[in-house]
Amino acid sequence: MQHFALTIIGRDRPGIVSQVTEALYRLGCNIADSSCSILGGQFAMILIIAHPEFKDKESFGDAFTALEESGLSVFLRTLKPGGEKHAKIEGEICMISVYGADKPGIVYRVTRELGERNVNITDLNTKLIGSDEHPVYVMMIEAILPDGIDPEEIEAAMNAIKTEMNVDISLRIITPVEL
Amino acid sequence: MTVRSILLYPDPILKQLCKPAKRDDPKIDSLIQDLIDTMLDAGHSVGVAAPQIGSLSRVVVVDVSSSKLGKKEENHGLLTMVNPEIINSHGKKTMREGCMSVPDYTGNVDRAEQIVVQFIDRSGKEQVIQAGGFEAVAIQHEIDHLDGLLFLDRVSSLKTDLFRRKG
Repeated sequence: MQHFALTIIGRDRPGIVSQVTEALYRLGCNIADSSCSILGGQFAMILIIAHPEFKDKESFGDAFTALEESGLSVFLRTLKPGGEKHAKIEGEICMISVYGADKPGIVYRVTRELGERNVNITDLNTKLIGSDEHPVYVMMIEAILPDGIDPEEIEAAMNAIKTEMNVDISLRIITPVEL
Repeated sequence: MTVRSILLYPDPILKQLCKPAKRDDPKIDSLIQDLIDTMLDAGHSVGVAAPQIGSLSRVVVVDVSSSKLGKKEENHGLLTMVNPEIINSHGKKTMREGCMSVPDYTGNVDRAEQIVVQFIDRSGKEQVIQAGGFEAVAIQHEIDHLDGLLFLDRVSSLKTDLFRRKG
């Protein structure tokens, strides 16, 4: 089945999810993976959808026009075959907490170290908290350490950023338990 | 010795309430053996509950002693629990749980950190033990199966939920 990635974002209000999913249901789309969240005052939806007959963007016709007219931005991406399946990533799951006085470059500096070591980020959230006078930046990363990368190596790299950027960083390994 | 296959959700047996086992029921001992065999065969498993192999009796086996997490802590080794009941609990521990009956999904679950459990052991004797840490989590997870509860019913937070409470 052809899969698509659908991104929808708009000013948060009750009813966005039902409005979007009603449109998808009427089209005959399946929703596979999805993640939806409030970011600032916006509600963002990211969905992997599939349709038994649709092959490309054109197949959807003007199905999303009503959503757009209600103030939502809609973006549809046609996936290449297999693009809906995630590769099985082996390795240890690692949570990294980063927080400190807000300044430019926190996300970039931390993720650059991870990217250079082929650490795969599976989830990342950031939020600006604190007061207007003292804004505090908080970032939570869940990542998978590839085999051959020691948690100590990442910790050392993070420690260097701690000093360089004057932020606090901690790292811990999460061991999922199958019971 | 019988290794039974683990039932997968949506098998309706996994959502049923199990009945107390009768102490003199001769079938209980072979059920216990099957649970142990199945747990050992699924090399990575630290516990199995009777409904996971299709039996609606209140029986679970737990053994965290050979798991990476469990062996670091004090534990009771192989526990065979008939009609287990948690009679006291305190503390809170969050773990990323998964379940053989719900493959490919894990979630953060809050459980009591310390529990006192009353049960009948394999030889028919009443036992009361105190368990903590990972062993306590494993026991609570398995007892939930006897009440038709899956860890999915207890997921306490999305992967990284730090920001969700405040809004």
